[in-house]
Formats: sequence, structure tokens, C-alpha cells
Amino acid sequence: MKFLVTIALALLLLTLESVVVQQLGLAISRIDVTVVLVAFLAVRANTLEGSISAFSVGYLLDLMSGQPTGLFTFLAVFTFLVGKLVVSLVEVRGRVAFVLFAMGADVGHGVLASFFTWLTTKEGSATALLPGLPLQVTLTGIAAAFLYPLLRRFEASQDRSSSAGLLR
Amino acid sequence: MLSLLKRYRTLLIVGVLLLYPFGAFLTTGRRGRDPNFVDRAVIGMTAPLQRGLIGLIDGVKAVVFGYIDLREVRQLNEELRTENLQLRAAVQALGETRAENERLRGLLGYAEAVQGPEIPARVVGVNPVAKLLSVRINRGESDGVFRGMSVVTPDGIIGQVVRTTGGWADVALVTDMQSRVGVRVQRSRARGTAAGSGKGPLRLENMLRTEDIQEGDLIITSGTDGVYPPGLVVGKVTHLEKTEHGMFLGGDIVPAVDTTKLEEVLVVGNPFGSVAQAQAGGER
Repeated sequence: MKFLVTIALALLLLTLESVVVQQLGLAISRIDVTVVLVAFLAVRANTLEGSISAFSVGYLLDLMSGQPTGLFTFLAVFTFLVGKLVVSLVEVRGRVAFVLFAMGADVGHGVLASFFTWLTTKEGSATALLPGLPLQVTLTGIAAAFLYPLLRRFEASQDRSSSAGLLR
Repeated sequence: MLSLLKRYRTLLIVGVLLLYPFGAFLTTGRRGRDPNFVDRAVIGMTAPLQRGLIGLIDGVKAVVFGYIDLREVRQLNEELRTENLQLRAAVQALGETRAENERLRGLLGYAEAVQGPEIPARVVGVNPVAKLLSVRINRGESDGVFRGMSVVTPDGIIGQVVRTTGGWADVALVTDMQSRVGVRVQRSRARGTAAGSGKGPLRLENMLRTEDIQEGDLIITSGTDGVYPPGLVVGKVTHLEKTEHGMFLGGDIVPAVDTTKLEEVLVVGNPFGSVAQAQAGGER
């Protein structure tokens, strides 16, 4: 159930993002809502469940990119695993800490995406997408601040329903 | 063996989840893959939602700006009446020129270039990843839109259809890094290539440094790339780099259309459109 909720949420957020980005008239900056989701998974989910969810979220992002290559599926799982490692070293508790964590994840995700894109296209410079990164990270941070309570609420409702199931 | 698998189950699954897409990326690279059944189902679910959201935003905008616009309508109406008269006069003059042009073409034995249908479409969303600058439109295979067709507005070219499903298509913008358009300087007819840079202006490439080109020149499509019909506006030259050595000159072309503010577009057939349709028909 948790997995399905994550997928549905990713679908809804990606659709919203594609419309909002168009309405804002952003050229190369995006709002990485999927990175926020993956960051949340890294903080809250266990390795297996989180990896599967991150894989699915990455697949959706890949699909919505118009040219699915598998890059964003790989990056989602990779970001999740690195995030999990960071969470084991640093405590991420509360909205502010989560926003900073999501922004950090977005920087890594954005830099790696630029690098791998350059690696395959070999056109333009490796830094062609990087000018949009500061605005993208800021927008992702704002999105993370708004999404954090929502994600916590979803998680709490999921936990309640699963514990109710156990009592039965 | 089974106990070993059980013990390392998590590690194995996570390894597969990490390495399978990476392997797929390394093998498919920039080409991507064609949409399969699952892809089509997901796109089919998200695209109507995008259209609904666009409709909602348009509705709110219409209500908010409706009153403000109404106050300026009278003055605008007067201006439009005057402009209408001027345009009607211009249309009459153009009609004469066109008739003369057709007579002369007939005399020279020129065949009229066959243009495909013009399919109007609405931009419903932007690709959420900046790796490929693309937009999604609400017309697809069922409307006669196929991969490789060009997308334009009355002001200039927008891009090329890179993926279609039932009622939706993804359009790679001319500003994308992978985009290349065969172009011509309208004034001097000099040929070159407009390459996307991933940001604002396009780069002018493959134009001999001996060619006649100046800043401010209008750049149009040459039709030699087999995607865009000839004569469509691409943009204006803003910056030229003429080095003392080398065969080619460089420069910037500011696109005629701001691709970040797209709403209504036209999908037009290209010389390969009929082939694509025939292939799609054969596959069915």
C-alpha cells in the first residue's frame, strides 16, 4: 500500500510540476519533486522498500522526460542509497533539516545528471545544464518545505492502517 | 545456495535495481526507447490530468484578468479597426503579388511544394527534466501526429515531435542541445545550421566565413534537413564571430518564438510524414 501511495504521489507531483514549470515559464530550471520523494524515502523507509520505491519514482521521471534512457531510474536509486548512508551518519529530523537534506540530494542529482547527459551526447559543455541548478535547488527546497508535512501525514496514516490490520 | 540467496536477498535486489537501469542507459545512450505498453498507460493517465490542470489555470486566469481586460477593450477596438483597414489593403496587394507569382511559377514550370496538414495543438506540460528540453501537446497518433513532424507557430519554429502515443506527443524544442535545424539567411540565401545550446540563443554553425551575413539578419529554415518546411522563421542573428582562420564563422540566433511561453502550436507534416504514417499503418 505504501508503495502504491508513493507511486500515485509521484505521478501527481510530476504532473503538477510539468504544468507549474510551463506556467512559470522556466527555461532550464525545474522543481525536482521526485528528489524530495526519494530524500523522504531515504530518511524514513528501509533499504529494500525504499530502493523499489525509488526505482519506480525514477522510472516515472524517466518516462516523463520524453526520452527514457534509464538514467533517472539509476540516479533515483543511487540518490536513495547515498541518502541512506548520509542519514546513518547525520540525524535528519524536522522540517529545516529535511529541506537542507533534500537540497543537498538535488545538488548531487543535478550534477550527476549533467555529467551523464554530457557523457552520452558529447555536445555542448558538461556545464550546459548547471546554470539552472541554483534556482532548481532553491525551488526544490521550497517544494520540500511544503511537501514535508504532507509526506509525514501520509506516512502516519499508512502506519495507522497497517497497525490496525495487525490488531485484527 | 538457497540460504545464501536468502541471506543476501536485499543486497541482490538493490544491486539489480541499481545496475539494470544503469546498464540500459549505457546501451541505449541518448536514443532512448520507444514507448511500450506500460509507458503508454502511464502517459495516458497523466496527460488528461495535465490538460485538466491547464484548463483550471486558464479558467482562473480568465476570471481574474477578464475584468481588467474589459476596461481596455474600447480603446483596443478602435486601434484594431484601424489596423484591420490597413491589413485588408495589404492583403489585397499581397493577393495580386501571389497571383502574379503563381503565373510566373507556371511559366517556369515550378511544382508547388506539397505541404502536409496543419494540426492545431495545445501545450499541456513541460518535461520535468531539463536533460531534454521538450513539451507535451494534446495531439498524438490518433490525430495524425507522428515522430519527426515539425511543430511551429505563426511566429516561427518550435521543435520536432520525438515521441507519440494515442492522443499525446512530446516535442523536443529547437533550444535543446541535441537540436539541429538547416537554415538560410533570408537576405543573402547563405546556408548554415542552427544548433540548440540548451539555453536561450541558438548557435550558428557550418556557415562559411565568406558568406554574406550581418547582425540583425533574419534566419529562416532551408528545408534541407527534411524536418522543417522551407521558409519558416527561426530567429535573428544577434552576435557574429568571424575569426581570421578556419572555414566557418560562428554566431548567436535569438529564436523568434519564446519557447518558455508556448500555448497554441501547429504540427505540420514533413517530407517523411507519409512514410511514418504508412509504417504506423503497417504495424497495426
